Amino acid sequence: MKRAALLATALSAIVAAAGAEPPAEPRRFALGVELSAAVGPEDRGFFNYTSYEDSAQRLARLSLTAEWHLAERFALLGEVRDENLGRPRVYALYARVRPWRDRAFDVQAGLVPPVFGAFSRRRYGSDNPLIGYPLAYQYLTSLRSDAVPGTESDLLVTRGSGWLVRYPFGWGSAEPEPGLPLVNALRWDTGFQVHVGSGPLEASAALTQGTLSSPRVHDDNGGKQLSARVAWKPVVGLILGASGARGEYLSRDVVGALPLERRGHYAQKAWGVDVEYSRDRWILRSEAIWSRWQTPMLERSLGALGFTAEGRCKILPGLYAAARLDRLDFTRIDGPAGRVSWDAPVWRTEAGLGYAPVRHVLAKVAYQHNWRDGGRVRERALLTSQLVVWF
Amino acid sequence: MRAARLPLLALAVAAGTAAPRLAGAGAGSIRGRVEVTREPPAPAARPSIGELSMPSPRDLPNRRRSVVYLEAAPQGAFEEHEGRAVMDQRHEAFVPYVLAVTVGTTVDFTNSDRTYHNVFSLSKPRRFDLGRYATGQSKSVRFDRPGVVRVFCEIHSHMSAFILVFAHRFFATTDAEGRYRIDNVPPGAYTIVAWNDGEARETRTMRVPEDGGVLEQDFVVR
Repeated sequence: MKRAALLATALSAIVAAAGAEPPAEPRRFALGVELSAAVGPEDRGFFNYTSYEDSAQRLARLSLTAEWHLAERFALLGEVRDENLGRPRVYALYARVRPWRDRAFDVQAGLVPPVFGAFSRRRYGSDNPLIGYPLAYQYLTSLRSDAVPGTESDLLVTRGSGWLVRYPFGWGSAEPEPGLPLVNALRWDTGFQVHVGSGPLEASAALTQGTLSSPRVHDDNGGKQLSARVAWKPVVGLILGASGARGEYLSRDVVGALPLERRGHYAQKAWGVDVEYSRDRWILRSEAIWSRWQTPMLERSLGALGFTAEGRCKILPGLYAAARLDRLDFTRIDGPAGRVSWDAPVWRTEAGLGYAPVRHVLAKVAYQHNWRDGGRVRERALLTSQLVVWF
Repeated sequence: MRAARLPLLALAVAAGTAAPRLAGAGAGSIRGRVEVTREPPAPAARPSIGELSMPSPRDLPNRRRSVVYLEAAPQGAFEEHEGRAVMDQRHEAFVPYVLAVTVGTTVDFTNSDRTYHNVFSLSKPRRFDLGRYATGQSKSVRFDRPGVVRVFCEIHSHMSAFILVFAHRFFATTDAEGRYRIDNVPPGAYTIVAWNDGEARETRTMRVPEDGGVLEQDFVVR
């Protein structure tokens, strides 16, 4: 409460400073609506399932976004999403403040966009040239934040089954629940962030409640995540980014259920590099994310490396082709049958076409192939179509 | 749907209807002022939810600029022109916001910003996509069919503009005060249209006498 009060006081002062100058433009309110519907076959291998237990290949989403400029340098932003006619969720809700008029320094507080990596901030369905997500941002590993394996064998039993995992320790140990992705692109974290720079070099840092894998609205462990990203634009069209994050990911319920000698602070640490190059009809993007989770009952922490590369090329006005290559790999641990990766490595390729007959409508069709070195279903191909309408 | 009138009408007269014939002598001028009293809506931009900072300052397009044109032009007025025009991209806005040209004109889309722009149009009279190009560069598009071409930037959702392509030369874009002037109009009866921000908003009929002269016609766009 003390921290929250301090944060509120600081924000009030910043907002007061931001509002001191009369706004240059009229106060304005922008509202955006996006409706997307993906229709594909059932993903029996759960390659595309998200932490909300929906398949990204069979997903209807209604998204309402709003941006309200209350003053020249103060705005409120938010997004509410409804997926598959379920319960609407607040996806983003934050205040954006620029305390000084002539300095490229911004503060955002609330349910904020992640500073780590590049993909999570591409907000709209039309910003994703394909239908699926990069593995590192969506694929569910066999780790959980509310339950932990007692032994290497407990972990290896769940290898390749991250969509529903059960472990012996933790409040959530009774029921199987979805595992954690390396970075959760479907939820945003709560806290505040600062951004500096608007030219060739920009830097951002955030202090938030959850972690990359497990963003949270309410704190569940008393720990905070510190994440940061530096972006360099040496020439127009080229963006080079480097990110890092560290935060406690295990809930206090899990830690409380551990033997006394194992109780402590367990963090997810992650590093990422990203690059984007665009010119003429081409956009090329690539990201690599290295994540490591400390685990209380295992001797070593668990690591995972996600790599993705994608390209989009416009063929005709309104028509483009895109492709993505994805790889997710995991560190090895000693199990009963020898040394093996703690979760099943995954390959994914996806290629597709997008066609916009008019500016506000985009139709996509994509073929996705997944391979996994473990789990009940090891290979799955999906042909999916998606319609995105926005205004 | 009113915006669709322009290409249809332009094509109709191009086929040769009951429009007056071009005459060498007695040509008149039509001039006046278009007063836009309505408050032009703010440019439609998608909320910048995923941004980490305030959007950079941008210019607001001049949406009060109008185009006045003859709905039915004289027969023989439909020769093709090989002209050139420029639509710049400056401070994340197209300048001018409204550009009126004749069929056969090539428009140069220059980029005066430090960032990439990607001009495109999915309008039926001319579909094109110029791809991404940096500051100081320019790409061109020739417009060979009459109609309204809506232009956008793929990167900046708040950027949009209109290009009105006419099959004749009897049109004028208003100046900063809203004034316009159409010269060398042959004698005859005409329907004159004031177009503003995507729609043909006001229509008047008037007759240019045989001895020509200057006729006044004002419009109020509400």
